[in-house]
Amino acid sequence: MTTRSTPERLDEAVETLLAGERPTVDAELGPLLGVAARLSDSLRPVPPGRSFEQQLARRLSGDGGILRTARELGLPGRPWRLLAAGALSSAALGVTVTAFAVWRSGRRHHSLSQRLLQRQAR
Amino acid sequence: MSGDAQREPQPRATARPDSDLAAVRAAQRDRAAFEVLYRRYLDGIYAYAFYQLGDHHDAEDATERTFLAALAALPSFRDEGASFRAWLYRIAHNTASNARRSRFRRRAQPLPEGFERPAPDADPARLVARADELREVLDALAELPDERRQVVILRFVDGLSAAEIGEVLGRSPGAARVLLHRALRDLSARLGR
Repeated sequence: MTTRSTPERLDEAVETLLAGERPTVDAELGPLLGVAARLSDSLRPVPPGRSFEQQLARRLSGDGGILRTARELGLPGRPWRLLAAGALSSAALGVTVTAFAVWRSGRRHHSLSQRLLQRQAR
Repeated sequence: MSGDAQREPQPRATARPDSDLAAVRAAQRDRAAFEVLYRRYLDGIYAYAFYQLGDHHDAEDATERTFLAALAALPSFRDEGASFRAWLYRIAHNTASNARRSRFRRRAQPLPEGFERPAPDADPARLVARADELREVLDALAELPDERRQVVILRFVDGLSAAEIGEVLGRSPGAARVLLHRALRDLSARLGR
């Protein structure tokens, strides 16, 4: 027959106490079980407020709940949207840079030809 | 939210691994089915957060974060030893621990006045006696090392078994029983002073 440890016997007695029954314990565990009974009586369940309960239920059931969850966890809510936005931004940046380069090159040619004309006129 | 209407406290939740598993599988197929698990564990998670943080506002915030994170992570939950209840409380434990650390950085004081929301028709004398008793217990609890305090809350507020507490804290069931034994020994000395 195996001898159970004090923590094992205490845990079993607490389990009985929490089930609403009166456990029988030896003198060693008596005072500890007295504390356990006091804790069980004092630390009662505390329900949340009704409005909080309903508000959170709505958030969990709605699409907004999942979106916010993803945001809070640092994840994109719609990964394909992020990719599409990134691709569009890259394309727009490319077009802008090219247009600027063409414009700049045109200006440079224009000013160069003007300077040549001025020099020829002198 | 102190003026918020409050329900009657429900009895401590008991482990329902079979019905939990069925509800988890349903919620993994259809997110709307998560409501069953939400209704089942809302009171327990809220009470756990409340006793950890000592404030209704912080408890609401931690409860909300816990359920949103659980809903997001639900597809990855697998029935591999750990119960859904222990898995959910582990999320709550991490959320409440982060909130405690954050509050410690802000140097705010826990357990403010009006810790409990009394029923409007409660007997004032009993209310005062109960408040005094609760204050004494909470003060003694606050002096415990973190893990021992966690074990007491999980065991007495939420009714988790030693095995489940071990899963929440990342310890063996035996280690959880030893922590409970030490916590009760410490509290016996403190409350008997």
